[in-house]
Amino acid sequence: MTSKANHYLDIVAVLAQKDFKVRYRNSVLGFVWSLLNPLASMVILTLVFSFLLRVDIPNFAAWVLLGLLIWRFFSVGTGQGMVSIVGNASLVTKVYLPRQLIVLSSNLANLLGSALEFVALLPLLAILGVNLTAYALYLPLVLLCEFLLIFGVSLTLSSLNMRYRDFNQVWDIVLQLGFFLTPIFYDGNLVPERYQSIYSLNPVTRLIESTRTIFLRNGLPSLYDDAVIVTSIMLLLLLGLLVFGRLERRFAEEI
Amino acid sequence: MAVVDVQDIWKYFRIPHERRLTVLDHIAGALSVLEGRRYSYEEFWALKEISFRLEQGESLGIIGPNGSGKSTLLKLMARIMRPDKGTIETNGSMATVLELGIGFHGDLTVKENALVYGVIMGLRRSEMRKRTDSIVEFAGLTRFRDAKLRSLSSGMQVRLAFSIAIQTEANLFLIDEALAVGDAEFQQKCLEKFRQFKKEKRSIVLVSHDMDLIKGFCEKSLYLLNGEARAFGASEEVTNRYLDDVRSSAVTA
Repeated sequence: MTSKANHYLDIVAVLAQKDFKVRYRNSVLGFVWSLLNPLASMVILTLVFSFLLRVDIPNFAAWVLLGLLIWRFFSVGTGQGMVSIVGNASLVTKVYLPRQLIVLSSNLANLLGSALEFVALLPLLAILGVNLTAYALYLPLVLLCEFLLIFGVSLTLSSLNMRYRDFNQVWDIVLQLGFFLTPIFYDGNLVPERYQSIYSLNPVTRLIESTRTIFLRNGLPSLYDDAVIVTSIMLLLLLGLLVFGRLERRFAEEI
Repeated sequence: MAVVDVQDIWKYFRIPHERRLTVLDHIAGALSVLEGRRYSYEEFWALKEISFRLEQGESLGIIGPNGSGKSTLLKLMARIMRPDKGTIETNGSMATVLELGIGFHGDLTVKENALVYGVIMGLRRSEMRKRTDSIVEFAGLTRFRDAKLRSLSSGMQVRLAFSIAIQTEANLFLIDEALAVGDAEFQQKCLEKFRQFKKEKRSIVLVSHDMDLIKGFCEKSLYLLNGEARAFGASEEVTNRYLDDVRSSAVTA
């Protein structure tokens, strides 16, 4: 049994490595692009909300950057995880491997990319006046939770996208909505009281709040954050594994 | 011990009367059902009632005209597809070389693609690193090892896939028309490998139109026609049966 586990680990390692290489090959700036993207958004959002609309949030630039990085991991991770099966036809039709590993590898490559983005932008956070304390060491745990969440969602999305090839268009719209339903550039407390109970159940919101607590408030994420995150991971992973397991049987014929 | 035990497998493909790929197609389809038209597809039975057993060390040739279900059967044995009825049991580890080789990613180099394929075929990552050079050499691709995979011809890609598969410890090889693509020199090298495998009591399942190859390497053959087993048994008899059918034009291959 351990030899099987080793075999699967090896597969995930080479596939994640492949994804990571493909992503940054054939581009002049490579990894720099994945830094420029959130930085540009940060500058734009800070100009609009902090300077023009004078939103009263201390250290707005750092605050919005943390939200953007967490959101970006989720949107890019699920977007690429969703097409990981369709985009790897030969892994489905020419060889056998548990196909969940293909999705897992795509998500892992994104986890690595996201972790590198955070590390590369830590100096910027310090420059912006963020007090980097030992609480920052909780970040890997937050990213790990987000990775599991993304894996659950990607399993469902990638198998649905096999059957309905334009499902990625649907998901694009959901993500656009999600950007506004998540407190990335505004304070979530502004949402009216009667919607709060639903609004605050968004696991990505809880991940963003956790990250801000760690970096900006130098504290531990609230128990409420932990509870929502862990529960949604379990539910979405369960759903993903069930849906994927059911639809996976005919992948080789549908691709 | 049986290396493959196939029991009464059936496999169908759905052939939709109208192709529905997108969400919109499905909504449109659901609406037309409301109008009284039915969502319809044909069930095309690609394989019907196939059973056979192969002992460790025995090799099997699968023959028959195009579209008779040979490649589907091989893919079921390789677990790439699942049967709709029946069971397939395999013992030990398999290596598969299907048509058109590997080509996992055209943008990665020959060596990088080889690593992915080898690890999926069951070689450890560390082993693959050590063996990549000798694999590329066997495939006759040393000059191209750092080239992007997409710059290789299809014959070269199959040669690469083949060269990796034979490095594994597999006791069962599933090979689909792979040899036909390689050039004469490479075919000779492969036949030598096959002979060595036979001595080592490893099994080969070969889909091919080359009757001499099948008679030379496979004790047993399975002749498929329209998804059904028309003959199974000693290769000499089964291949003759097929050739007789072709001559009497019962089969238009």
